[in-house]
Amino acid sequence: MAAAGEANGGTGKLESSLDVPFPSSREATIALRSLSPDKEPRKGGISKLITVSGSTLSRWSADEARILRVSVNSFLDHLSLVMETMEMFGPPVAV
Amino acid sequence: MTVVIGFEGSANKIGIGIIRDGEVLSNPRRTYITPPGQGFLPSDTARHHRAVILTVLKEALEQAGLKPADIDCVAYTKGPGMGAPLVTVALVARTVSQLWGKPLLGVNHCIGHIEMGRLITKANNPTVLYVSGGNTQVIAYSERRYRIFGETIDIAVGNCLDRFARVIKISNDPSPGYNIEQMAKKGSQYVELPYTVKGMDVSFSGILSYIEDAAHKMLSSGQCTAEDLCFSLQETLFSMLVEITERAMAHCGSQEVLIVGGVGCNKYAEAFKFCIDNGAMIAQAGWEMFRSGQVTELEDSWITQRYRTDEVEVTWRD
Repeated sequence: MAAAGEANGGTGKLESSLDVPFPSSREATIALRSLSPDKEPRKGGISKLITVSGSTLSRWSADEARILRVSVNSFLDHLSLVMETMEMFGPPVAV
Repeated sequence: MTVVIGFEGSANKIGIGIIRDGEVLSNPRRTYITPPGQGFLPSDTARHHRAVILTVLKEALEQAGLKPADIDCVAYTKGPGMGAPLVTVALVARTVSQLWGKPLLGVNHCIGHIEMGRLITKANNPTVLYVSGGNTQVIAYSERRYRIFGETIDIAVGNCLDRFARVIKISNDPSPGYNIEQMAKKGSQYVELPYTVKGMDVSFSGILSYIEDAAHKMLSSGQCTAEDLCFSLQETLFSMLVEITERAMAHCGSQEVLIVGGVGCNKYAEAFKFCIDNGAMIAQAGWEMFRSGQVTELEDSWITQRYRTDEVEVTWRD
């Protein structure tokens, strides 16, 4: 199980979570490692945690609905790009 | 033999190039062009890149006649540049790096330009004038760093040109700077503009405000044409750049100037395709970095909008 998270002041009034199934935990981990390095553009009011256990789970907490919506939307755009890339250029090579 | 694939998308060009030991095997690119009068915004630019990046990646491999197994290293632009487009490109680079089991390398965009310039011209140790829509720096190599000798204290020279192009509503196709250059050739009157060199540095935002204002007043009163303003702007901007470059050359005792960045296309049509942002320049910088032992761990592969040219340790030169 792998985890990557960042908390930058989100007090957690509003929460959202997303569970994304992947064909294998290897592919879920690839997605995690591609999606987690960049910091949230917004400096405060949002915290996001991505973990992998079998599939990829993401959890957000934010102060305002607007901030939460932007973060979740961006994540979904990024996730779909990663998944398309994996589909077109996968499967991953044998380790 | 070392083969590196490079991903670039920090502004409105998305390019992926493959280099094998100094030979460019492929270098496809797409440009996001906005209507006249409009600049390109980060989210729209990212959307453009996202729509084409996988197609461009396929093209890069096909045109080079290579399979992923033939690649030794995946290089991408870590920064500087616009956040959303940088992330879009980094996501694909990180993903294929893991899918193909190849090491990843985050490259400084400015250094990409410099290394491509060095490869193409084989210049020994030139003073570098890096001029683009996003950057304006005079750079010289010294003791493992590309040192910034002079730079803009506000906006880039290309930004000044691009924003003036919006005011007079000329086409952004193929680029606003190109169209300003064509119009400037037909200019006949020199309109005096502020000349703002500050020691080793330059400033362009004052000239921009001045010429935006002048455009409204002088064009409507017929005192001069848009062509005259294009001509005058180019003359002023380029004279300022020549001055700070000469100053740096005098300090360094250097005899050669290497001009890189999109604005370098102006009057220097030969290395045209490599002056404009492209993937191969990232691959070339990546090639140098990789062979000198550098690698970027995934956890450190975050993109950054600000990334100084002199932050990178130039491990591949003495």
